[in-house]
Amino acid sequence: MQTAKSEIAVSMTDISKRFGPVRALDNANLEIERGSILGLVGQNGAGKSTIIKVLAGIIRPDSGTIVINGETVTSLSPPSVEKLGVHFIHQDRLLVPTATVGEAVFLGHEIGLGPFVSRRAMERKAADLLKRFFGMELPSGNLVKDLTTAQQKVVQITRALAQKASVLVLDEPTAALVKREVDSLFDVLRRLRDDGIAVVFISHYMQEIEKLCDRVTVMRNGTDVGTVDPRQTSIDEIISMMIARDVGEMFPKRSVTLGAPVLEVSNLRLGGSFENVGFNVRAGEIVGLTGLLGSGAKEIVQCLFGLKTADGGQVKVEGRELSLSTPVKAVRDGIAMLPEDRRAHGVALGLSVRENISLASLRRYSRGGMVSRGLENQAVDGLIKELSIKTPHRDALVRELSGGNQQKVAIAKWLSCQSRVYVLDEPTVAVDVGAKVEIYNLLNRLAGEGAAILLLSSDLLELVGVCDRVLVVYRGKLAGTFSGAAMNSDALLAASSGARTVKEAAA
Amino acid sequence: MSVSANDSPKMNLRAFLAKYSVLIAFAAIVIFFAVASPTFLTLANLFNVLVNNVVMLAIVALGLTIVISSGGIDLSVGVSVDMASMVFVMLLAAGYGGVAGVGGGLGAALIVGILNAILITRLNISPFLATLGVLFIGQSTQQLATSGGQPIYLTSGYAADQFNAIARTALFGVPTPVIVLVVVAVAVHVLLHRSVFGRYVQAMGAQPGVAWYSGIRVPRELSLVHMLCALLAGVTGILLSATVKSYVPLSGNAFLLDAIGATFIGTTLSRERKPSVIGTLLGVLLLAIVKNGLLLVGWNFYWQQVGIGVLVFLVLAASFGLRRASH
Repeated sequence: MQTAKSEIAVSMTDISKRFGPVRALDNANLEIERGSILGLVGQNGAGKSTIIKVLAGIIRPDSGTIVINGETVTSLSPPSVEKLGVHFIHQDRLLVPTATVGEAVFLGHEIGLGPFVSRRAMERKAADLLKRFFGMELPSGNLVKDLTTAQQKVVQITRALAQKASVLVLDEPTAALVKREVDSLFDVLRRLRDDGIAVVFISHYMQEIEKLCDRVTVMRNGTDVGTVDPRQTSIDEIISMMIARDVGEMFPKRSVTLGAPVLEVSNLRLGGSFENVGFNVRAGEIVGLTGLLGSGAKEIVQCLFGLKTADGGQVKVEGRELSLSTPVKAVRDGIAMLPEDRRAHGVALGLSVRENISLASLRRYSRGGMVSRGLENQAVDGLIKELSIKTPHRDALVRELSGGNQQKVAIAKWLSCQSRVYVLDEPTVAVDVGAKVEIYNLLNRLAGEGAAILLLSSDLLELVGVCDRVLVVYRGKLAGTFSGAAMNSDALLAASSGARTVKEAAA
Repeated sequence: MSVSANDSPKMNLRAFLAKYSVLIAFAAIVIFFAVASPTFLTLANLFNVLVNNVVMLAIVALGLTIVISSGGIDLSVGVSVDMASMVFVMLLAAGYGGVAGVGGGLGAALIVGILNAILITRLNISPFLATLGVLFIGQSTQQLATSGGQPIYLTSGYAADQFNAIARTALFGVPTPVIVLVVVAVAVHVLLHRSVFGRYVQAMGAQPGVAWYSGIRVPRELSLVHMLCALLAGVTGILLSATVKSYVPLSGNAFLLDAIGATFIGTTLSRERKPSVIGTLLGVLLLAIVKNGLLLVGWNFYWQQVGIGVLVFLVLAASFGLRRASH
């Protein structure tokens, strides 16, 4: 590297971090240069967000050295990092919706006299800054919630600049933006780079990385596997750097003869999210569904469970057409849902294992509206044993179980219903590797018993390892179906990043 | 969370105190008043407490227990009490029979519950704000219906007979209101802790998102919850009118805060702070005994509120504080 030492804004060396048995970061390195835009890429779980959280002072590393602006820092906290000029635009941490633009820009650094805040002064100064940096005439008395997502991003960046940021880290800033807004955001970032600010850009969209970044650091399995110049390295090469080849025995093998179609979806559409989506899932089949944030894959799954009402199209289960307007109907029609946010929607932490497992199927264990504890206990004990749920007893609170076992309780709830169709939304997020394998085994067994499984996941290795077929959604449309040898992480990643347009791949 | 052999006896004592803080407070208060007032522990006094201070409050509080279990609140229980009382007395005054009066009164209370249910499940207004609105509307309605809040006293022999049939009769020596309470308490206990509906209520209270994602008809169940609560408050309204032989506008509000207090005192019995029928009944008994005891030892009426406030504070603080320390 020909860069002089003074041009390095942040240097992180040999950073390691373990979460229980999981090695989230394994001697990872990250070097951020002034006046340059660094892309940070890697699959989910590769360690991107962990290393960023270490830099942000949110996670304390087990070992490693961090040098910011030539100074070795030993302990970081979010406020101390901001004082050092390193600012973060997080994907989901939004602004206070009811604040004005002026208040949002100076949040935490209010202008005023003593305890009195001068909103007018803040708004005037915010307007100045927006004009100076971005040439933007944004009425700074407007409320944040009335701005577009792109404008909110600009307000967040302005807040960082108002505090003399020298390093700006953006986590998936374009996920919710439309094309035109992406272009203007890129102009802003290029201008900042030319002013000597170090920019880190995290994105799943390969085209954006290629277009914007001066350097790209690729992460895999908790470590950095290389830093390249995207103008000289092809997207395919970067993608192959991202994917680990040693899948190993993570994914148990299975052999199932597929039955008749159980779930049939045709012409499904939801305005603004996806259109003309059609596919089948057969008895015993595990079909994967993937797409980047905002691609519409998530909304397809939500429509199938009645969480959102599709604008048109047909959904059939075992030949019967369903009207999926609420989860009540979906459950009654034999559709089971494993939601992504387990704590909010999957299991009630304050209820017992027993109460959670029987919740969706209480009618089966009741007579005349009264729960028969005998029937319920028998069924629940059977499922605890069958899924080897590790719980002290059936009346233990779900709160006391590990993440993987909580997820098993959520699955047991649907087994108790004898659902025919299982829709799983990121079922292995935030569970450890051992529990992942158990969940995969469980999916195999469900499929073996003739259930139709639709697995929404952004973990490409998981999809390749578990599914018979994978559907890729790109910007609201099915961009391809992959199976057999054509179903590999490279192809899935390429199709979901829009790097290539892929025709239906033959098995 | 370890329940292992190395837990010191001191920790166990703390956990014990935390769990049974209501019972301990209960025992301490009974002993205190028994010593302080010679009449406190007499059968006549305890009977008086039961019939006049416990029954009506307990029925309202049991309705609120259902609502609070579902994760909501009903600030309009007083209105349900008053509406039942008002319609009951007005129907009797117009010469209708006791059955029609009771039916009309309960129907009026049910309308309050249906109004709450519509506001909460159809218009998606939070239970707190929806029932607060109904509280205001209900109070004005009563004032409009009674030319500014004039009580209705019924002194005719006919009305007195109807009232006495409810409030002054007894079965095997047990006064009718007490029997009503026993029936209501058993019914609510079975409903809340044994029935499918009760399980749904608990799930909605523990995590509404999980209930919805499990295919539970949340709007329907919540509507039932609010209608049941209003209906029970209506039962209290009937008992109240029959006891005082009149309808006094806005008198139902006196139950609201006591019922909320009793229900929350009761939640200290459960590790997860879930309301329960037994907990609520204990809470009601505790409040009733403190009120009665303070009266007997000669405390001014206004000081009773202070005594109850301090009591609620102490029981909750002891339960929360000790429990936190024991984990």
